[in-house]
Amino acid sequence: MIEVRALHKRYAAVVAVDGVSFRAEDGRITGLLGPNGAGKTTTLRMVAGLVRPDSGVACIDGVDVAREPERAKACLGVLPDARGLYARLTARENVRYFGELQGLGGAALERRIDALFERLELAPLAARRVAGFSQGERTKVAIARALVHAPGNVVLDEPTNGLDVMSTRAMRALIRGLREEGRCVVFSSHVMQEVSALCDDVVVVAAGRVVGQGSPDALRDAAGTRSLEDAFVALVGGET
Amino acid sequence: MSAALGSGGRLRPWARLVGVVCQKELRDSLRDRRSLLSALLFPLVGPLLVAGVLTFVARRETSERPVEVPVVGRSEAPELVRSLEDNGVVLRDPPDDVERAVRDGDAEVVLVIPEGHGAALRAATPAKVELVSDSSRSTGSRAERRLRELLQTYGGTLGALRLVARGVHPELAQAVAVVEVDLATPQQLGARLFGMIPMFVLLGAFVGGMYVATDSTAGERERGSLEPLLCNPVSRGALVVGKWLATVAFAAATAMLTLATCSFVLGRVPLDALGMSFGLTPSQILGLCAAVLPLVLFAPALQLCVATFARTFKEAQTYLSFAMFLPMLPGIFLGLAPFKSAPWMSAVPILGQQVMLTDLMNGRPVPALSHVLGTVSALVLTALSLRFAASLLRRERIVFGR
Repeated sequence: MIEVRALHKRYAAVVAVDGVSFRAEDGRITGLLGPNGAGKTTTLRMVAGLVRPDSGVACIDGVDVAREPERAKACLGVLPDARGLYARLTARENVRYFGELQGLGGAALERRIDALFERLELAPLAARRVAGFSQGERTKVAIARALVHAPGNVVLDEPTNGLDVMSTRAMRALIRGLREEGRCVVFSSHVMQEVSALCDDVVVVAAGRVVGQGSPDALRDAAGTRSLEDAFVALVGGET
Repeated sequence: MSAALGSGGRLRPWARLVGVVCQKELRDSLRDRRSLLSALLFPLVGPLLVAGVLTFVARRETSERPVEVPVVGRSEAPELVRSLEDNGVVLRDPPDDVERAVRDGDAEVVLVIPEGHGAALRAATPAKVELVSDSSRSTGSRAERRLRELLQTYGGTLGALRLVARGVHPELAQAVAVVEVDLATPQQLGARLFGMIPMFVLLGAFVGGMYVATDSTAGERERGSLEPLLCNPVSRGALVVGKWLATVAFAAATAMLTLATCSFVLGRVPLDALGMSFGLTPSQILGLCAAVLPLVLFAPALQLCVATFARTFKEAQTYLSFAMFLPMLPGIFLGLAPFKSAPWMSAVPILGQQVMLTDLMNGRPVPALSHVLGTVSALVLTALSLRFAASLLRRERIVFGR
C-alpha cells in the first residue's frame, strides 16, 4: 500500500507539489492523471525516495520513505522518469545488478530473472548487450529491473511513453497482471484512454494540487460529463 | 502483503553492496575501449619517450668523431694552431658568415683569432681569441668544452713560461687553487634525468582512473541510469565507495604498469655511455609502490568528487583534464628549483609522492615516518572526498541536473 499525505515541494519560486494526498490500495491500480507539469513526476519521485518533500509524508506499507528510505525501497519497484540502462551490459546483467543491490543472489536470482524475461518476452534477448535494443525492448528491461525483487508496490512513471501499439498493449497486460498478483500499482499518465482502461482509482492532479479523486465512473458522475476526458477538462479547468 | 511476496527484511550488508557496485563498474569499464585505452596506452607512452631521448643522446655522446672546429685567422697564431692539432682537434676552414653558421647550428663553435693576436702575444699583452657559440642551442657542447679546456691550458702554459723567464715562480701567480670534487654518483646523475619518471608514475595514477570516474558518475547521470540506481535500497556511501574502488583498481594498474615499463625499457638504454646506470632493486620497487599507493587512493576519490559535481560528461572531462596538471606541478617545480626534501612534504598529496619517488630513485632511503605521513594524510583526504561525493549525490540538483 502506498499512502501520501499533504506532500509539498517547492523549487525556488515554483511550487511543484502543493499538498498532494492519496491512498493506493493493494490489488488495485491507481492512476495519477494530469497535464504536463502538474507535479506527477515530482510526486512519484518523493514516493520513490529520490526527492525529499518540504513537508508531508509518503509511506510504503506504512514505512516513512524519508525516514527509513532503505526499508521502504526494499518493498517498492520503480520505473522512474529516467530509465537508462547500461549499454555495455547484457539485458540479464542489467537486471542482475539491481537484483543484487536488492540483496538477492545466486540461483534464486537467476530463476527470478528467467521468470521475468519469460513473462516480458525478453528471453531471446537476455544474453545480448542492450546497446542495440529498441525503445520497447529497453522499457521491458527497465520494467524487469524494477520488478526483480518482487516488490509488493510498483510505481510506474509514464510507462507507455514512447512505446508502439503492440508494446503498449503488452504493458497494459503486465500492469493488470501485477494487480491480479495483489500488488499495489501506481502509474502516472497524461493519456486518457490508458487511465480509463486500466485504473480502479484515479487521482487528477493539476498545478501541484489534487483536483479530483475516485473511480473513473465516480469522476464522470461528479463532473456531470459523459466521458472521462470531459471530466478531466472540467476538473483541471483548461476550458471554459 | 509485501512479506507474502517475499520482499523486505533481506540481509544487505554494506560491504556486500560495495562489492556489487565495484564489480559492476569494473565489468562495465573493462568492456569499454576508451577506459582500457587510457589505462593501457599511457604506461607505454611516457617511458618510451624518455628512453628514446636518452638513447639518442647516448648515441651522439658515444660516436667517436674527433672535435672539429672551424678557425678564422689561422695564420695569426701558428703556435696555438699546432698545439690544438697536437691535441686531436681537427681545424676546418671558416664559413663565410660565422655568426649565422653558429646560429643556424651548422657549427657548434667557431674559433676566431683576430688580427693583432700575434702582435699582442709578442708584446706580452693579453692576446684575444673569440669562441663563438650559441648557449641557447646546446649548453656546453662537447666541442666547446674541449676547446675551452685546450685554450686555457695553452694560455696557462704560456703565462707560466713568461714568469719563469722573468725569474718568478709560476705558483706565486696562483693564489687560489680550485679543485673540483663531484660527489654525484653515476646513479644520482642518472636520477636527475630520470626525474620525469616519478611524474609519469603519478600521472599514471591520475590517467588510469579518469575515464572510469567520469563514466560512473557524470556518465551515469547523462545516460539516465542514476535515477533508477538510486531507487534501490543502497546508501549513497556504498555507491560512492563501490565506484571509487573500481576507479582505484584502474589507477593502481596504470601506475604499476608505468613503473614496470619504466624499469624494463630504461634497463635497455645504453646508459653506460652517459656515465650513468639505472637499475631498480626489488626492495626499491616495493618502496616505489608504497610511495605511490596514497595517491592511487586519493586521486580517484578527488576525480569522483569533481565528476559528480560536473553537469555533463564533457564538463567532467574538461575539469579532470585540468586536474592532470596537478601531478605535473611538483615535477616542474623540482626541476626548476631543486630543494631538499623535508618530512612534512610527504603529508602533502602529490608533492609528497613526488619527493619520495625522487628520493627512492636517487637511492636515498625514505624514512618510515614519511610513508606513514603520506598514507595517513591521503587516507584522511580520501575519506573526506568520498563523504563529499556521497553528500553531492544526496542533492537533488546534482541527481536531476541543473
